[in-house]
Formats: sequence, structure tokens, C-alpha cells
Amino acid sequence: MNTKAEPVTVSRRRFITQVMGGIGATIAAILGLPLSRYVAYPATSEAATNWALAGPVDGFNIGEMRQVAIEPTYDAPLAIEKGKRAAYVVKKADGTFDCFYMHCTHAGCPVRRSSGPQRFFSPCHGGVFDKEGRVLAGPPPRPLDRYDYKVEGGVLYLGEVYQVDERLERVG
Amino acid sequence: MLPGSIEWLEDRYEAKTLARRFLERRIPKGISWFHCLGSATLFLLVIQVITGIFLAIYYVPSPEQAYDSVQYITGQVPFGFLVRGIHRWSASLVVVMAVLHMLRVFSMAAYKYPRELTWVAGVFLLLLVMGFGFTGYLLPYDQKAYWATVVGAHLVEKAPYIGPFLNRLVEAGPEPGPLTLSRFYALHTLFLPLFLYTMAGIHVAMVIKQGISAPPLDAPVRAGLAAGQHFLSNAFRGIRSREEYRRAYEASKKDGPNFYEHLLKDAVVALLLLILVIGLTFYLGIPTEERANPADVNYVPRPEWYFYFLFEMLWFFPGDWIVIPTVLIPALGMMALVMLPFVDRGWSWHPIRRPLATAMATMSLTVVLFLTYKGATAPLPPAPTTLSLPPVVFQAEASSPSELGRKVYQQQGCGSCHSIGGVGGQAGPDLSRVGSRRDPDSLRAYIRGPQASNPKSMMPRYNISDEELDALTAYLASLR
Repeated sequence: MNTKAEPVTVSRRRFITQVMGGIGATIAAILGLPLSRYVAYPATSEAATNWALAGPVDGFNIGEMRQVAIEPTYDAPLAIEKGKRAAYVVKKADGTFDCFYMHCTHAGCPVRRSSGPQRFFSPCHGGVFDKEGRVLAGPPPRPLDRYDYKVEGGVLYLGEVYQVDERLERVG
Repeated sequence: MLPGSIEWLEDRYEAKTLARRFLERRIPKGISWFHCLGSATLFLLVIQVITGIFLAIYYVPSPEQAYDSVQYITGQVPFGFLVRGIHRWSASLVVVMAVLHMLRVFSMAAYKYPRELTWVAGVFLLLLVMGFGFTGYLLPYDQKAYWATVVGAHLVEKAPYIGPFLNRLVEAGPEPGPLTLSRFYALHTLFLPLFLYTMAGIHVAMVIKQGISAPPLDAPVRAGLAAGQHFLSNAFRGIRSREEYRRAYEASKKDGPNFYEHLLKDAVVALLLLILVIGLTFYLGIPTEERANPADVNYVPRPEWYFYFLFEMLWFFPGDWIVIPTVLIPALGMMALVMLPFVDRGWSWHPIRRPLATAMATMSLTVVLFLTYKGATAPLPPAPTTLSLPPVVFQAEASSPSELGRKVYQQQGCGSCHSIGGVGGQAGPDLSRVGSRRDPDSLRAYIRGPQASNPKSMMPRYNISDEELDALTAYLASLR
């Protein structure tokens, strides 16, 4: 057997480097692609919202800003912590409803209702909304988000949360 | 230690030689107590890791049980209060020490050749520390924890294009819940520590390889200034090349002490810090709020103090401009920090000889400190139903105009934005002494039409009756 060391040429070294790089990239891809999909799953899947009971429609007076307790659930077992959430409901003169999500559209702080001036106030950066959810003052970038709703058998149910633009029309 | 064991290790691993080379290497002259800030940060991080690992033994990352498990740790488990207290307080101190360390390094220009990447690794470590903070304080699942995460997720959502995706990636649901908690727990205890060990390892290895940076090698500046020379004059231009720098650095080590001399200072600082952390735990306790309640509409979210500057910045950017404080400024700030050593490359170290860098750093620091102070002293807006205002001093009968005006003030929710006697919001001006600033007529006109009096006014119009307006004006005019 030839005991002399085989001369290592630069091209052979480069070949080995490239093969090792290729093997490394393959291993990274085999692990990385499934893992990133695994991590991002909640961001790419939309769980359907179930209807949540908000109360009998007769209980709401026209023009009154009411705070209701709902127990929202989703079609995914771990989507949210079970329990009560707050929502604001305003019954309008024509019998339809405005149902507001309780989080300010700015930084997400809980807005509180003030029935004297009929406004919603955010405690964080001075956001003020009117009873239709329009921005009156402060930094919020859009009107209050709303719940989809339905009335069935004289009972109000709240559903999915959606965003509205300045004309209070649904977006997205 | 077994007799001869050191020789045994020396024979196989050169352990003694290596240890001696490490401990007895010379460090530059003039290495002071300020150079302990880095090791202090490292020490606190080690404390964090140790106490964190032990907290994980009892902690349950589930919304139903997280709060109870934390109460169990502090209330039942022997020394649980101490373990969590040390973790909680050294978390705050890590931020302090890391920032002070960064200021020390900046003021001595230790980020310059050849230590540019050490600085960059340090910037990433600071970012990691903030990441630990954000993921860590959801874990106790109290009110502060829950709402800070709600706010954080809302701010992430404001990023252009990828915001909504990022929001769902962080929250793993429509609001913070079981999957958010498990995510944050995994990040806080597994992912981030992995990055931390790597980054801190690299950072420290670089310091050991290159040696501690010397105090500014153009230090005779002070003497020169005293002698009346201009600070940019040639008198201070000693070093002008890498070779000259290396020579000067080696020279500064010549009559410098051995490393273990400095290690003693580090050890003293470490012990003092541990005592301080334990002292804070027993003096101030462990701030914990009520169990998280997602249905609480009267909660006022406030971040941990080291995020105040980001939270307060939001005041200045209304509407869609919110991307500036949430994305643009943090990104530019990070970029500026990372780029610093590659932009400021001149051969001068003393702060006064780097006027631009020093001025910009001072400005940024002032802004951050000011916003932090504002955040720390911000009055809490009262819940509309429990708004308590100082009673009207004059004419205290219930039917007096100013007493009626106080009721109007409460009904209209004025306190959501304005404060009187330290009670109320901070969106609008403090009205504690508004009666001495404005006469009743101008108050009246302002409330009727804020934009007519001041086109830039943020105050919305209020449709109130003339009687209510009279009463409100009387009340405000009485505040002197």
C-alpha cells in the first residue's frame, strides 16, 4: 500500500466543502421546514367562532350603552381560556345592534364606557370613541372593532370580531 | 481535593497551566470598578438561570393553574418566596446593569477596533434580555401579565404587511390564552436561554481572546485641556494605525495588574448584588396583582418599567403613524447600535474627542430617561364609576353650581383624560389649578368648541346643556 499521503488539491478541498455544505443544508431543510410549519400553525389557521349568548333583545333599551358578559368559544380546543369576556352592546332606533369588542384599536387596552357623555374611553393613551365606535380623540387608528351578531328567538348572540373603516363599513 | 489531583489533571489536560494563564494574564492599567458592570450582568444572568430552573419545578404553564402555582411557590414552598424574589428582582437589575455596562463601554469607546463584534454581540444580548422580560412577565398570569401581553400583541399587529401574521404567531389564538402561555414558557425557559448561552459565550470568549479594553488611550486629554489646548488639536493624536494601537495596548498591560486582582472586585460586586436583590425581595416584596381577568374593563395596563419608554412614545404618534414607535424607531435604534462600531472608526476614544457620537448618545439616553420618568409618574385614570375628586372647598352645599359642576365632570368622564389633584388621566392638561389660568368665559367657550378656541386641540366636543355647562364652568373656575 502506498504510504505516501495523497496530495490534497484545492479543488478536492473545495469539493468536500461543497458536499458538506450541501449535506448541512439538506439536514437543516429536513428539520427546519416541518418545524417552522409546526410553530406557525396557529398563525395560519383560522378557528371558527361559535355564537355566544348575550341576552334577550327585550333587555336592551334603545340608545343605551350596555356592558354584557359573554362566554365566547371557538372551534379549536385551546384557542382561548374558558370564561367570561366583556362586550358592549348598543341597540339602535331601528332595532339593529352595534356590538363592540372591548379592546381599544390602538394598543389593545380595555375601553370603559361612560354613559353620561355616551363615550368609550381608553385608559392608556387618551383614545375616545363615540357610541358608534368612531374615533373622537387620541391616537386610535380605526373605530372600535365589532362583533358579528344574530337575533334568534328573541335572543342576541355575538359571533366573530371584525374591523370597520371610518365609514363604519366592514373590512376584511 | 484529592492529593495530587491537580497534577493528575495537569498531566492530562494542562489544567493548571491553562488556569494559570487565564488568571495571571496581565490586564491594562487603570481597569476600575466600572469594569465590573459586565461581570455583574453576567453574574445576575447566572442567578436568573439558576433560580429560573428551580422555579420551573413547581410552575404550571396553564391559564387555570399558573397563578395558583406561583402563589404556591411564594406561599407554601420553603424559601419559594426567596427563589422567586431573587428571580424577579435580579430580572430588573439585569436590565440596569446591562445598560450601565453598555454606557461604560460606550463612554470609553471600547466598541472600536478590534472589538466591533464584541459590541454587536452585546447589543443582541441586550435585545435577548428585553425578550426575556417580555416573555417572563406573562408567566405569573396576574392582571399585569395578561394585559401587558394583550398590549404587546396589539403593537406587534401594527407592523406593515406581516403584522397580523406576527400577532397570531405571538398569541397563537385570538387573545392571550393557553397556547400563548405555553409558547411564552417555551421561549422563556428553552429557546431564549439557548440563544443567551450562545451569545454570552461568544461575547465573553471574545473579551478573553482580545483582553479587556484599556481605558481611553488618548487619556491625557484632561491634562491637555487643562493646559489650554483645543480638544481636537494634534497634541492628542498619538495613535493613528492598527499597529500603533496594538503597541499602545500591549504597553498599557506592561505595568497592569494580573486578572485575578480584578476578579476580586468582580466577586465583591457579585456578593453585594446578591445582597441587594435579597434586600429588595424582603423590603419591597414581590409585586403581584390579582389573577388575570380578561373581562375586566376597568383595568389600566402599564408595562414593566423597562418598557415604559416604548409605551410612552405611543402618545406622540396618532393613527397610522403608530408604525413609527412600534416598528421604525426600535428597528432604527437597533440598527444604529449595531452599526456604531463600523461607522465611528476614528482613532479617538475619549468622549470629548468623539463629539458627534457622544452628542447622539446623550440625546437618545435623555429621551429614553425622560420617557421612562414620564411612564413612572403617569397618573392612573380612575374607573368612571369610582372617580373620586377632591370636594369643592367653597360653597360646599350640594346644590351649589360648583358642586353640580363636579357631578357633570364625573358624568361626562372628564377624568378619563384630565386630572385634578393627581386623580385622572394624562391625555389632557392637568386641571388642578385651571381656575387661575383661565377666566370663566374662556373656560366656557373652550368646552363649547375646543377647536374654535385652539384648532390643534385634541379634545372632542361635548353636547351638554347650558345649565350643565354653567355648572361645569363654575366648578373648574373654583379650582385654583
